[in-house]
Amino acid sequence: MKHIKNYGPLILLVLLIDLIAEMIGMQIFSLGKITVSILPLVFAVIFAILIYLIPWHPIKRLYNDKRVKFAGKYMILIMLPLMARYGANVAPNINEILSVGWVFLVHELGNLGTILFGLPVALFLGLRQEAIGSTLGLGREGELAYISEKYTLDSPEGRGVLGIYLIGTIFGSIVFSILAPLLLGMGFSYKAVAMSSGVGSSSMMTAASTALAAIVPDHSETILSFAAASQLLTSFIGTYIMYFLAVPLQKFMYIHITHLLDNKKEEYPEHD
Amino acid sequence: MIRENNFFKLGRDALILALSVSLVLFVQWIKLLKNSKSTPITTDTFIGLGLLWLFSLLGIIISMLMKRMPWKIVQGFPILGWVSIVSLIFCLISSYCVRVINAVDFLSLTTSVLAFAGISVTYRLKDLSKISWKMLIVALFVFFGMYFMDALISQIALNLSGK
Repeated sequence: MKHIKNYGPLILLVLLIDLIAEMIGMQIFSLGKITVSILPLVFAVIFAILIYLIPWHPIKRLYNDKRVKFAGKYMILIMLPLMARYGANVAPNINEILSVGWVFLVHELGNLGTILFGLPVALFLGLRQEAIGSTLGLGREGELAYISEKYTLDSPEGRGVLGIYLIGTIFGSIVFSILAPLLLGMGFSYKAVAMSSGVGSSSMMTAASTALAAIVPDHSETILSFAAASQLLTSFIGTYIMYFLAVPLQKFMYIHITHLLDNKKEEYPEHD
Repeated sequence: MIRENNFFKLGRDALILALSVSLVLFVQWIKLLKNSKSTPITTDTFIGLGLLWLFSLLGIIISMLMKRMPWKIVQGFPILGWVSIVSLIFCLISSYCVRVINAVDFLSLTTSVLAFAGISVTYRLKDLSKISWKMLIVALFVFFGMYFMDALISQIALNLSGK
């Protein structure tokens, strides 16, 4: 009984959010040449947050400590059937995926893009140690674990990775569902964008690949299967790419760019 | 090998998974009310949801067992990955699995997950104010950089392989 009183309202809240999100439905619109699709999943995030922001006492009670913690702790379980669903997307396309298997492997090197693009910008803006935590990767669980082990989360590096983690958690699905159509509009093929959607965070991958599939519905099966397959590969080798390639590359770029900017040799912080 | 409290944990997880697939059914139903041409709810849908529930549970059990393995690569592999692998194996072996799972509308699986995600971040909204505008700009470049580099390398490699 206690559980029903605690978690019943949470389930009702989720049903309400689902209802609103589905009633709005998928919205497709054009920004110049680029077609953008906003799916109900994005509206679900937005309304979950908007309802919380209503300044009305019963709402604050609805989002109580226990329920919000429950949502965070068990979101991964709620997500499992979705991950199982991907099996049925990948299986019929397994031959096509294996025939370009090496492409799936080399494209994992694209993970270094966080450093190549992010680090110069961060350093130029004046960030130093924070830049290390915030550009090592997408700031998901892998980077969080690595940075907290090496520098602790209380350090500037730790604050950097926590910042990216927070931004990614709140805005990740929204940003990625806009980035996917943007890349398609830049001229990349749907296959290339689809396999790039497996970035290591399941909700970002889902947001990116479903947004893409909505724009290219004829190839939606290929898109979902490519995204899921690359996501699976990223979870296997992502950590190793970070450890053996991203960290050395970041160290190299950090030392040289700070040398240019500050006119003095700056150390790449190693843990003590 | 599996201790008693693990049985308790497994029972609780099984219940939460049941909640998850029920929410999928709800969303698929709402989609049908809104648009009668979306994926219909048939007997296959129910069997498909049952299989998704079962594969998820198998993935959790495998993940529990792998935590006892001496190799770090399998210890740290996420549950999400195990579930995909279990489901992929079953779907490769049996086209029946693919058929019934395809009777579950794909997008219906995503809405509730993100609703939970949205609820879970509400308490952290106030931490956003601690994040500087610099960090927001960096985040945009980090997200874009990763996706762009990934797509660029994929495109070059796909062109090289003639696909």
